[in-house]
Amino acid sequence: MTVVQHATDLLSTEPVSRWRRPNFVLIVCVAIGIWLVLVPLAALLLTAFTEDTGLGFGAWTFDNFVDAYGSGRILRLIGNSLIYAAGTAALTFVIGGFVAWAVERTDAPGGALFHNLALLSFAIPGLLMAMAWIFVLSPNIGWVNALLKAAFGLRNAPLNIYSMAGMIWALSSHYFPLAYLALGPALRALDVRMEEAGLVSGGRYWQVLPKITLPLLRPAILSGLLLLFIMGLSSYEVPRVIGRPARIDVFTTQIQQATIATPPEFGNASALSLALLVVCLVAVYFYRRATRNAEAFATITGKGYMPTRIELGRWRWPVSFAIGVLFLIALGLPLFTLAWQSFFSNLSQPFMGSAPPATLANYEYILRYPIFLDAVRTSVVVSAMAATVVVALTLIMAWLARRAASRFAWLLDALASAPIAIPSVIVGASILFTYLVVPIGVYDTIWILLIAYVTLCLPYGMRFASSGITQIHRELEEVAEVSGARTAQVLLRVLLPLVLPFLLAAWIYVFVLSVRELGASIFLVGPGTNVLGTISLTMWEEGGSYGAVAALGVIQILPLLIIVAGLRWLETHVHRRTRTGAGAARTRTG
Amino acid sequence: MFAIENLHKSFVASGAEVRAVDGISLGVETGKLITLLGPSGCGKTTTLRCLAGLERPQSGRIVIANRTVFDSAKRIFVPASDRGIGMVFQSYAIWPHMTVFENVAFPLRVARAKKYSSAEIRDRVSRMLDMVQLTGFAQRPATQLSGGQQQRLAFARGLVHEPAILLLDEPLSNLDAKLREQMRLELKRLQRSFGITTVYVTHDQSEALALSDEIAVFDSGRIIQRGTPQQIYREPKNRFVADFVGSANFLPGTVHGNEDGLTAVETAHGVLRCRFAEPIDAGMKALLTARPEDIALGNAAAPPPHAANVLKGRIVNRVFLGEVVDYVIDLGDREWRARARSDDFQIGQAVTLTLSPQKCVGLPG
Repeated sequence: MTVVQHATDLLSTEPVSRWRRPNFVLIVCVAIGIWLVLVPLAALLLTAFTEDTGLGFGAWTFDNFVDAYGSGRILRLIGNSLIYAAGTAALTFVIGGFVAWAVERTDAPGGALFHNLALLSFAIPGLLMAMAWIFVLSPNIGWVNALLKAAFGLRNAPLNIYSMAGMIWALSSHYFPLAYLALGPALRALDVRMEEAGLVSGGRYWQVLPKITLPLLRPAILSGLLLLFIMGLSSYEVPRVIGRPARIDVFTTQIQQATIATPPEFGNASALSLALLVVCLVAVYFYRRATRNAEAFATITGKGYMPTRIELGRWRWPVSFAIGVLFLIALGLPLFTLAWQSFFSNLSQPFMGSAPPATLANYEYILRYPIFLDAVRTSVVVSAMAATVVVALTLIMAWLARRAASRFAWLLDALASAPIAIPSVIVGASILFTYLVVPIGVYDTIWILLIAYVTLCLPYGMRFASSGITQIHRELEEVAEVSGARTAQVLLRVLLPLVLPFLLAAWIYVFVLSVRELGASIFLVGPGTNVLGTISLTMWEEGGSYGAVAALGVIQILPLLIIVAGLRWLETHVHRRTRTGAGAARTRTG
Repeated sequence: MFAIENLHKSFVASGAEVRAVDGISLGVETGKLITLLGPSGCGKTTTLRCLAGLERPQSGRIVIANRTVFDSAKRIFVPASDRGIGMVFQSYAIWPHMTVFENVAFPLRVARAKKYSSAEIRDRVSRMLDMVQLTGFAQRPATQLSGGQQQRLAFARGLVHEPAILLLDEPLSNLDAKLREQMRLELKRLQRSFGITTVYVTHDQSEALALSDEIAVFDSGRIIQRGTPQQIYREPKNRFVADFVGSANFLPGTVHGNEDGLTAVETAHGVLRCRFAEPIDAGMKALLTARPEDIALGNAAAPPPHAANVLKGRIVNRVFLGEVVDYVIDLGDREWRARARSDDFQIGQAVTLTLSPQKCVGLPG
């Protein structure tokens, strides 16, 4: 629009006319997305291709790559990372798939209980889970090993957590509920009539399963496997506390090692990060391809059918029992051990001989430990800020993408979901490199943690906000606009109250993720800005008493469990409300 | 009351440009109800949404109550919130987080032209609820209303701020058949009592015929024919309108000549006389149209004495509908449908079909 035309418009008799004008909100959102996602990656690239100077970028060079990839070590690193990630994906998938099938497709009792347990597992920080498994399965201090040795008169510990298999088990025991949660909805949505059509045509269930059910679920299976593979590659906690003592290095630990070497090898770390990033991007590419044609597999048809379940007959209770035992071993065992140990100062193995009298001394110690109290404050404050920022930012981005600027939906979605492909260790490293150079004074403050948490949690916030907005019929907003409401009024009085439950759920989810965070925090905490994850690690590695470490873990897990239980309550509540709200127009016609 | 001039709106759908609205012009007088009728994807809803300001057309001009709200040449686009319209959506779009009262009060609370005091709002809302017979429902959560009540609530909300025009987007399609007929009458009563200029979008031809002062039949983004319900039904301008509004039998032929205001058309079933809306020359191709209910069936064994405009056929199927019976008749080269009160005719029976020349419409072929 030229200035002259603009002036005549202003002079025209039309009081409220709005021709095309740049969408500033969109521009700001895209700019923030680029700043959070692309700028750190650019810093990572620059660091990889320049000499280490300690501060700022040096001359162009390929030395970092020669250093990082020149030795045979790199092959071991790649091998370890891939075996660890693929092993975790496969194991979690088998266990999670079995649980999903039993809960969603059979009449085995206890489905709701298992579902809630799976969700609660999200509250447990990965670091504490890994530590707990050491208490259970270490050859030296693991009580299950001691128990087995005593029972069978063995001289050596039969199980060793300090091995590749141990690492895979430690992570899988924590992540298999995720596999269940990823597969469950697909199994639930699968139109049972497709299976029935196969059965009616004369097929037996064992023929229908591989010929009809599994092919229909292929997108869900593929995307689930790839997601778990990426999570395995990104995992930092298990490799740090189990892999490192066992001398099994993976990318994430090696990257962190390089940045804390003296002198710091930022270039080396960046070169390694790029390799990990490429692997993750390839996996995400296939993940996208697997989910792209998901609609073609029309697994959901229409409304209100009751899925018939496979009747297990006398296998009902055994199947249910097996799942119960699975949860008990995978989650109950480590948590029980952690709780047990927290009541004794010295190593105490349950069921092994007579235990010394239990004590609350560890809790008294932790709750008076100034570093712990500071860390709680930092963690809670930064996580609450991160949750607030993520929810606000992704609400606006999702609204633009789904409504106001749907032409740019691809850009907003791409920016917000990009961090899914970036392991937290790389987010931490690249943010470190960025703000060592960008002079805005966030280095060594809580703000740099905030930036990291916001970046890491963008995809989750976007997913909640997007699905919230998609579930709200767009006519609800349009009718407000037609009634005379300005955009701000439409958003505040109609959209916001309707998506509020989703935003609350997103807030809690991001908060818990941020409190649990370790992989990025470890690069970014300074002397005064330790968070729960980093002090737990320090205490573990620098010889806090077993009891104190365990108590520190229990004190973190309990509140998180309560918060996640609240999230679960909220979600069931929302589910019921949206169902009655949305269904009312269609179902009540009398 | 409003006027649309040469409106164009196209979308890009999977790489191809779709001309949803392709040069629509339309004007309506105050207090009239006009229906935009057509199959899905014909551009009727897009036209309505352009009128509302929910879509931005590529070109054209829209004037509502003497105010230009859209003009591509002058670069005017008044947003929906400033157009002074009321709208009822297909889903009703009742806000589930508000009470019945708050739903209706919303347009008054956000009004900019005038500030309403809370007493005024209470007053107007309760008067409005009375008019749509929702007295006493004010404090109920809106989601507890039945379908018909939600629909009336949507109406109250659309009218409470006294808009210049009321836009209705298939407001009856979510109701079951019985309630739909009842609400159709209700809707007409409300529209009459408010005397508000109304645009009604539907794909249901019986709704269109029952409600409208005027109908605009849409196809592929264009208006094919405009007229009163009687004109649209009795004098369709082409095969699409004849077929879409009601049902019709067709028979191609050649114009033979004109006499007494009627035109004789030579067909494979003899010379038949019919009515043309506009004079047509002999020798031109023509298409004869007969509505099933305008066909008089007779027993072929006892043909009517002065048989003119008669075809012969054999009944191949019959569907008993209660008050009427639909017959499918094989004419030899085609099948026709006829609707009769009598269920005396049997499958296989030879029958005569007598067409009244006044009700038999000829279309230029």
